[in-house]
Amino acid sequence: MSDQYEKIRKKRQKWQEKTVKKALERFPYLKEAPSRFYTPLDTPDFDFLTQVGFPGEYPFTASIYPFDPRAGTAKLAARSKAGSGLTRASGYSGYGTPEDTRDYYKQNIERGGRQGPNLAMDLVTQCGYDSDNPLMAGEVGKVGVAIDTLRDMEIIYEPYQGELNLDRIASNFTINGPAIYLIAMYAALAENRGIPLDKLQATPQNDILKEYIARGAYIFPPKPAMRLFRDTLVFINQHMPRMNITSMGGYHIREAGATRIQDLAFSMAIACAYIQTGIDTGLEVDAFAPRFTFNAMGGSMEFLQEIAFQRAARRMYARILKERYGAKNPRSMLLREQMTAHIGPSSTTKQRPLNNLTRAVLGAVAGTLSGGPPSAFPPYDEPLGLGWSREAQQLSQDVSRILTCEAKLLEVEDPFAGSYCMEAMTDEIEKEAWAELKKLDKMGGIVAAIEKGYVQREVTRSAYDHQKKIANGDVQIVGVNCFTGEHELEVQTTRLVPHPYDPDRRARAEERQIASLKEVKKNRDNKDVKKLLTELKQQALQEEVNLVHHLIVCAKAYVTLQEVCDVFRDVFGEYDPPSIF
Amino acid sequence: MTEKKIRVLVAKPGLDGHDRGAKVIAYSLRDAGFEVIYSGLRQTTDSIIRAAIQEDVDVVGLSILSGAHLTLTRRVAEGLKAQGADEVVLLVGGVIPDEDIPTLREIGVKEIFTSGTSVNQVVESIKKHVHHNSPKEAGQ
Repeated sequence: MSDQYEKIRKKRQKWQEKTVKKALERFPYLKEAPSRFYTPLDTPDFDFLTQVGFPGEYPFTASIYPFDPRAGTAKLAARSKAGSGLTRASGYSGYGTPEDTRDYYKQNIERGGRQGPNLAMDLVTQCGYDSDNPLMAGEVGKVGVAIDTLRDMEIIYEPYQGELNLDRIASNFTINGPAIYLIAMYAALAENRGIPLDKLQATPQNDILKEYIARGAYIFPPKPAMRLFRDTLVFINQHMPRMNITSMGGYHIREAGATRIQDLAFSMAIACAYIQTGIDTGLEVDAFAPRFTFNAMGGSMEFLQEIAFQRAARRMYARILKERYGAKNPRSMLLREQMTAHIGPSSTTKQRPLNNLTRAVLGAVAGTLSGGPPSAFPPYDEPLGLGWSREAQQLSQDVSRILTCEAKLLEVEDPFAGSYCMEAMTDEIEKEAWAELKKLDKMGGIVAAIEKGYVQREVTRSAYDHQKKIANGDVQIVGVNCFTGEHELEVQTTRLVPHPYDPDRRARAEERQIASLKEVKKNRDNKDVKKLLTELKQQALQEEVNLVHHLIVCAKAYVTLQEVCDVFRDVFGEYDPPSIF
Repeated sequence: MTEKKIRVLVAKPGLDGHDRGAKVIAYSLRDAGFEVIYSGLRQTTDSIIRAAIQEDVDVVGLSILSGAHLTLTRRVAEGLKAQGADEVVLLVGGVIPDEDIPTLREIGVKEIFTSGTSVNQVVESIKKHVHHNSPKEAGQ
């Protein structure tokens, strides 16, 4: 082999000196070739079985599954009644009041939808407040549905009965800060319907650590927040074996400005913190890690690097689970995501918005080439306001269908495997992410690094560097900082299909939700509520007590989300972020 | 005589935690030579008004990506007026649908910056509006 390498090395040098140099003479403004050509010299230690292996086998570089069933069933899906059989979870949704959201899901079911709710909650809920808190005015029912008490969950789930009852559907909850109480509410809802907890399928986001770095929907300081995480992990593990424990999100961190390497390293450090939490309770890693999942990681327009990133992320996660935590069950080692490579919402532009569809198609192609489904995410009208139009969603979905059925992109797994370029990029990304992860280890792990403000500052700095590059043209965005001359056509779009959420209902959502909360508070046993809250405080003060059991009792008594969180605020304090300057 | 530095409060009212834009603007305005105060997340409109008055700022920039911009901006504008600070230049940035822009202007917002705005545009706009308010400094 080394003979072969020597030959290539010599040949490459000759190519540089003759062919490349000669070509450069024709372009005097270029000092060196603006593109790169990879050779076996860029992957000198490449070993197929160690670095790639087979799809669905360690280290899962190619894919976490041996094949994508959608490659074969695309034709079937296209013929199915709903016509949308290429996706599993229902779309992220939640509008105004529980009644409004219920009606939306009802319509979905009438149209043949069979998926459970994928609940977006308003910020009031995400930050642990109630709709009737006067400081929340203007926010109730915005960006998601308002949930104050179990009553709201009962209303949302009204359409899910019979063959769509809680033991037949899977739910998603985008909730982090107060996730423990939402999980308790879902358990209470099931128990009240007589459904055993071990039949429930759901994925709570329950990834509090990234909230301190991105998104900002934190409530308590990191340490007590990790205790709440621990309680959910242990409870879900014991009583809800079909439920995921967490759905971690590197993509949120990327959207907040992190570089590719920071996205990977911080996400892995967060995963390590959650895994360690489980191990510290005395559990075997294989007992819970199979139910750790990821929302998504990555997100940028850099096509080849984003494909390499997904390969590196899968391999790194598998290695961490196996080598660091001694996992034996291959399922523990799977980096499960709902999508792989994609462009990320921050790549979209308000200017000439249809270009976002072009961008999203590229992301979807990268998705199929990086072991995932084609996700033309987000719909092209992402930057035009809050909420996607039906047209934009239709086009996004059609991208997946076209790439699957017409372009047949799912028919080969990891087509770049063995490519000198792709393997070199994958190795480089993983190597750099390990270096950053080890730096975090030395700081005492991600929780300590968040407490110090290190992670937040690093991400802000990266965001600022990126913005400066946009300003000076090092980063080019078509229609934004280049190709903006007067002869360009500012292509606009029209969105005519009405949004499913009636604007009149939207306008009165806050008022209606406050009225309905008032009604709940009037009709519940308030003496009992007071007693339960006193007990909750006592339990919260005892670090070793698992709070989920008592929270289910609280949920059944219609204790509000803010009442629970106020007890925790009292006991745990509130998170106070470090200064950015 | 040195020109008094323009003082800007970059604030995140309400619960919206998307602070990439606000932080980048805070850093950028500081680099552009302004005195910048960043409020941090989850500020009530009252605390923003209080900070604006106490810090004697020339500009308040609100960053809102949650759809709550009309309620929150109206409160800040009315609060500043009630405190006699209506000369403070009020700016709003974030995810703002086009149809809400006229309403925000009526409320008293001088400029609305949506996605794709360059930092330079923000800097120039601040200089223009602040100098418009204090004609003595114009042309310095």
